[in-house]
This record gives sequence, structure tokens and C-alpha cells, in this order.
Amino acid sequence: MLQTPATNIGQLPPEMLDFTILKSTGSLAPRLGRLSLPGRKTVLTPAFIGNTSRGAIPHISQDNFRKCGGLEGVYIPLEDFIEKHPQKTPPIFKIEARDPLRKFIALPNDTFTVLGARRSPPISTPVAHTNTEISLLTSVGFRSMTSEYYAAAACKLQPDIVVGLADIPFGQEVVGTKRKDKMSDRTEMWLRDIIAKKNGMGEEERKFNIFAPILPIERDLQSWYLEHLLDDMVDKISGVAIYDAYLLDDLPDELHHLPRLSFHVPASPQELLRQVSLGMDLFTIPFINFASDAGIALDFTFPPPAKIGDSPRQALGIDMWDPELAVSVTPISGGCTCNACTKHHRAYIQHLLSAKEMLGWVLIQIHNHAVLDSFFTSIRASIEAGTFDADVATFSAFYEPQLPDKTGQGPRVRGYQFKSEEHGKSGKKNPKAYKKFDEEKIVQLRAAHGQNKAVRDLVDDEALVGLVGMTDMEGVKLDGVALGEDEVKA
Amino acid sequence: MAALTFELLAKCSVTKARAATLHLPHGPVPLPIFMPVATQASLKGLTPGQLEEQGCRLCLNNTYHLGLKPGQATLDAVGGAHKFQSWPHNLLTDSGGFQMVSLLKLAKVTEEGVRFLSPHDGSPMLLTPEHSISLQNSIGSDIIMQLDDVIATTSPDFARMQEAMDRSVRWLDRCIQAHKYPERQNLFCIIQGGLDLDLRRECTAQMVARDTPGIAIGGLSGGEAKDEYCKVVDTCTGLLPEKKPRYVMGVGYPEDLVVSVALGADMFDCVWPTRTARFGNAITARGVLNIRNAVYSEDFGPIEEGCQCTCCRRPEDGGLGITRAYIYHVTAKETAGAHLLTMHNVYYQLNLMKQARQAIIEDRYPGFVKGFFGKLYDEDKGKYPAWAVKALGGVGVDLLDG
Ligand SMILES: [Zn+2]
Ligand SMILES: [Zn+2]
Repeated sequence: MLQTPATNIGQLPPEMLDFTILKSTGSLAPRLGRLSLPGRKTVLTPAFIGNTSRGAIPHISQDNFRKCGGLEGVYIPLEDFIEKHPQKTPPIFKIEARDPLRKFIALPNDTFTVLGARRSPPISTPVAHTNTEISLLTSVGFRSMTSEYYAAAACKLQPDIVVGLADIPFGQEVVGTKRKDKMSDRTEMWLRDIIAKKNGMGEEERKFNIFAPILPIERDLQSWYLEHLLDDMVDKISGVAIYDAYLLDDLPDELHHLPRLSFHVPASPQELLRQVSLGMDLFTIPFINFASDAGIALDFTFPPPAKIGDSPRQALGIDMWDPELAVSVTPISGGCTCNACTKHHRAYIQHLLSAKEMLGWVLIQIHNHAVLDSFFTSIRASIEAGTFDADVATFSAFYEPQLPDKTGQGPRVRGYQFKSEEHGKSGKKNPKAYKKFDEEKIVQLRAAHGQNKAVRDLVDDEALVGLVGMTDMEGVKLDGVALGEDEVKA
Repeated sequence: MAALTFELLAKCSVTKARAATLHLPHGPVPLPIFMPVATQASLKGLTPGQLEEQGCRLCLNNTYHLGLKPGQATLDAVGGAHKFQSWPHNLLTDSGGFQMVSLLKLAKVTEEGVRFLSPHDGSPMLLTPEHSISLQNSIGSDIIMQLDDVIATTSPDFARMQEAMDRSVRWLDRCIQAHKYPERQNLFCIIQGGLDLDLRRECTAQMVARDTPGIAIGGLSGGEAKDEYCKVVDTCTGLLPEKKPRYVMGVGYPEDLVVSVALGADMFDCVWPTRTARFGNAITARGVLNIRNAVYSEDFGPIEEGCQCTCCRRPEDGGLGITRAYIYHVTAKETAGAHLLTMHNVYYQLNLMKQARQAIIEDRYPGFVKGFFGKLYDEDKGKYPAWAVKALGGVGVDLLDG
């Protein structure tokens, strides 16, 4: 059932999002769509967008982002930018330029931006939300942010899409009925806040598109919210953000024409396929980065290659720490056209990981994004061809159900990951593999030769990958200029 | 035999600075030059493409590290370090001797070579001049270094210093003998002799007599006074043949480069610019800025105004338009922050030498040097380092004048 194409883009206000469903076989079925935003690359759905951390996809500097191409959009969590709040105005709000967020993170003009409050996936916070505030985690600790502040941030930062605040107690296993009532009430209130704020924007200001959160609770417990959404907000929103893909069945028909962004974190490609089969359109995929950090190069295609006889299920990825790869001069994946596969071989990447050189993670991350890009291209082709269900079945039969286990060490555990593991765990997150040179040794080494700096370099590399602390490094003075660190200790 | 040609383009009419083009097996490189150090066949998270884009055409790998990982067998199987790291340009490798002596416990130098305990299993090992050259032959670097007997320049033991110098000469002969591919890899000798100028003179004469394609001055920047450093460089370059490249090992602060060029040196390497980037330090013409300092959190200008590196260049000119505020935001939190600043710092060092070269070609190097120090010290002559004033005075440039 092909829907009629939407209004001609040229007639729409400049920031208007257009979503056209190109193919759908009913609810709870895979669908093809096309999402366009003026000035941005058009994205065919189902698709995934880049999941940024502090403005960059982890390990991918902005120039490499451009070179890799392929990503039409990125997800940006506001909590990455507001550690100075509330004591000070975060720097991001002081940029006097059009499209300040994009400028600040040096994102290409044609990449669309989705702003949300929390990272994907969010880290649970110990502080409960209130009627007006959600709690979040910045790089310097837990903070609270009002709905008012969030709406104002959206106006100032001019993202293409803003996900409405959702009152979801992340990390809480059991949520009582009363709490669920509150979730739906607050989420509605906060959505009204951001709609009102947008309506109050000046003529000349660039408007954002709002995606309404659909809560991960049963339909009858958010029925008031959904009713009100249909009654008087449906024409103010341009999409929905879904926190539980298995509740898509409950999504009111009146919202079916809207693009669906999934915040239901998939653990595997199989789970992604399941969400696609339920009619999900857009994804952030945290497991790409988890795999890259673990040194796992994803290695799957959709549909899979022909299964040979009774061969066991294939792994979804290659553990690049495997010493056997040290002499393998083939690319990670034969058919992959990514920059890592066309320029480098497994032996080099294995070397980089075991030498704890940052480039190892860069190359794997580039490759892993390319694998997902091809995966979604094939998914769309499969839906188009009407073979999706059969292809999913062969995929599930061909591959192992989960990503390979991590064997090697990851890069330095970064702040947000550290906190996410904190609950229930103790001890050092970054075990020391090498002992730091003691002072005497360093003095002795310094005296030895012109290349003495190479010695320190070895220590510093360990610091970067997190094997030794970074705080007391680099006490060098250079002609009176102190090169000490100045970390925010607010 | 040499696998290079040294094309001298210009000499400064006042100082000993020279501009040249060094034609190496993997393409020409401009001299004077700064060479970034990709210790383990990778430059701090940068892809070979990113390094190339900053203008680099010659970088270092460390033989000691590559010998351990990926190891000689893999290097042979892959076909050398260029292929291993997909670097289409030139490579220089050290001998590996220094790192064994400095990194490993109980390393001991004998006439045979450097004895040490394997970091893998503690078994006794020996690095000989022959083994070092064999490793570097497997690496396939365009410039390879002799194994030398390195001791601290500040060592008070004259007899040991003399012994190390003589041994380095004997080891050079063994390296020349062992070198399998002189037609495609250039073996450089290393002048030793500590801070004793007579020893340095004697060593220089001995080394020059061996007629290697290039000459390195070793054993410096190990904590000796800068005055002493300059005297050694000045003394050695005064005795070196004009038509060969001169490489001062392990030198890398911008002032050191500018002064050493005036003293007649052509090539430099140092890990400092790339190492320091990872701690948020940006090298600029006005000094080193620690971008992790809160004052930069709202500084929406480029890392350095006018810099043409990938990060600083404006988006209109094909760059990223990265600001100090963004570096502040991301540095030490995401590895991409280190990559960005590393690109800037590499570019800064390469560009500094490029500008020096242009100034030499146009015979205005003394003016360039004055401009450099003026900017670095905010025109406050009182802050100029005495060693630089003295060294430059020795080659006809009065920094404090005018
Ligand atoms: Zn690939
Ligand atoms: Zn720059």
C-alpha cells in the first residue's frame, strides 16, 4: 500500500521535515520511507544515524567523518554539552552564529541533527525526576535540567529534530503503576512545554521538528497522554521516539504516518531486524561503538551468504585481538569498501590493538559503521523485493545470535562508560598492565640520549589507553609555560 | 653507495642555514625538515591519509618496537613497514639500540652489541650491529641508522665516552658490511662524543671518512645545557661535507629547530609535538597553549589564527573550522580530540620548517629568526633564552638588535 507523496518540499517552510512512506504492508510490518529535511541529505529508511559523544562519533575525528561518508544524520545528547549548568552558562549557548551546535562540533552542513537530552543509551541517575526536571549525567557529575531549559536549548541550538523529554526512570527494573501515571503526565506536560516554546519563536528563527516520546509502558497507562497527543498536538509533531519497540502494536493509527526513531537499544543485528520487522524507521546503534571498543570488527551481510552444508553458525564479528591475525594480509572483510578495508589489512589492525595504538580503534570503528551502512542498504532492498521475512530467517540461521565476547582490552574507559558500570562494581576500571616508571628511572632515562622523549612516550601511550593515570602526567615546563592540566573540578 | 640525492638549493648568506631537496626512494622531501615519530607504525591515532594531509612525507618508526611487534618474520611476510602501515612516503628508522638500553633492565653494552633480557620471557638476548641492520632491512625504511654506543652526554666518565665514540665507529663499519640494500636504503652514521668538542671532531672525521649517504649527530638533548648542545651541533656541522643531509636526533621544540637550522642542521625528529597534543597542548607561534585550561572553554577562534591545518582551516577553505572551545570540550574525553590536536601540532612543526626553508631560499633567514622569537616572546627581548641569543650571535644574528 503505497501512500500518496507528501506536499512538494519547495512549498514548505524551510525547516519542515517531510516523511514519505514508500512501501508498507500494514502495521507491525517492515516499511520503506524517505525522510527529507531541506538542505540535508535525504535518508531512505530503515536507516541508522551516528551516535555522537561530545560532538563526535567516538574515534572518528570530523575529517574522517567526512571521508567515510554514508551517515546522513547524527544523534546528539544535550547532556554532553552542559556540564557548566547551572553555575554558569555552558559555552555552547554563547556562540553567536547561525546553527551554533553544528558549527561547534564541525558537522557537515548536509548532515541532519537529532537533539535529545540523554545519551543513547542513557546512564541511570541516582536522582529522581521531578515534575519540572529530569536528572542527567554530565562529564562532571549528575545534574538536573528543567523542561523549560531544554526547550530553550533547542531554540538556541537549532537542531533539525528535537526529541521531547520523556519521564523514564532509566535503570529502575520495576516501575509501579502510580509512577507510570506520573511518567505519562510529565511527558505530556514537557511535550507541551517544547511545543509552546517553539510556537513562541520569532519569524526569522530556524525552527526545529519535534519527535514525541512514546513511553515504554502499556498503552492504557499512557492513554491520557496519547489521547491528548492525538487531540491537540499531532499536527505539532513530526515524528515519534519509541522506547520499547514491542509496544509498537499500541501506537495509535493516527501516528502511523510519522517517522519512528528507536531508542530501544538493540544488542545485536538480529534485534535490529526484529525492530525493522515491526515497522521501525530510524536507529541509533550503540553496539557499533561497544564492538569497536572491544576490538571486534563486525562481519555480517544481509541476507547472509549461502550456508554450506551443516557448517556451524558464523560469528557476527572478528575479534581483532586474535594473535592469529598477526600475519593475515587480507582486509577485515573481503567485500567491504570502507577506508579501513581498502587501505589496511588485518595484520596491521591486530598490531595496532596489541600495541595499544589509537588508530586500531579508529579503523575498526570506520569499518563497523560501513558494515551497518551496507546492512541497512540490504534491508531496504530486501523489503523492496518482498523477501524480508525469509531473509531474516536465513540470517538468524546463519549467524550466532550474539556478538562475540570481548577478549582484549578496550581503549581508556571514558567518563560516561565508567559511571555506567559503577553500580554494583568496585575496584579499578583500568587495570595497570605496565608499571609506571618511577621517578628515579625517568631521571636516569632522561639523561641517556636524545631520544629520551620516546621513553616518556611509551608511558604516555599507556596513559591514553588508560593503563596508567593521566592526571599526573606532563609536568614538563617549557620556558616558563606550565603545561599542567586544568581539569574542571567544579 | 647512496639511494638518495641531495639537491642543495640555497645557503643563508649570514648563518649556516641551508635549503635543499632530499630525493629519497619514496619521493622528494624538503630540507630543513621535521619528522614526526610514528613509534609503532602509527602516529597517535592518525590515519596515513591524515598525516599526509598535514604535509608529511617522511616520518619515523622505531626499530626496537617493530622488532618486537609485529616482529621481523611478519615484516618480511608483509613486505616491509611501508606496506605494513600503508604509508606510501618515506620512512626513517633508528637502530633500536638506544631503546633497548633505556627501556630494559640490565641492558649491557659489550663490543659484540647490546645484551639485554627479552621483555617477553626474560631470556638473554643480544642486539648486534648486524642484527639491527637486518631488522631495518626487513623494515625497508628509506633511511636507516647505524647501531651506536649511547651514553649520557652528561656523563663525567671521559674514558667511557671515548670508548663509546670509538666503538660507534667500529660498529658503523660492521653496519656497512651487514647492509644488504644500499641501493634502496640509506645508512646514516651517528656522530658521538658527548659534550667534548675534541671527541666530536675526531668522531666526525672518522664518520665522514666512511662516506655514508647522510650523517646524524647523536647523543644530544638528553638533559645537557642548551649552550653545550649548540656548541656540539655548530662544531660538527662545521666539519661536515656540504652535499650531505645532517640529522640532529631527538630535537623538536620550535626554538631548537630554528636555532639548529641556523647552525647548519637539516633534519629533526621528536615525539614531543604529538605526545603533548594528547594532553591538550597546542603548539602555536605564540607559544604552547594548554587548551584544557578553562580560559579556552569559550574561545571560539581557531587553535591558531591563520593556521592551514585540517582543523584550523575555515570550512569555506575546505577545513573543519575547529575552535579552541571545541578542543577544550572534547580533549582527554574522546580520542578524536587528541587526533585533532595532533594534526594541528604536526602541521605546525612541518610548516615552521617550510617557512624556514622559504626564508633561506629568499636569503632572509636572519629576519625570519628574529620574527620567530619576537612572536614567541611577545616582542619582549628580556624573555629570550640566553642560549639562543648566544648561539645565534655565533652565526651572525644578533637577536637583541633592532
Ligand atoms: Zn571495512
Ligand atoms: Zn591548526
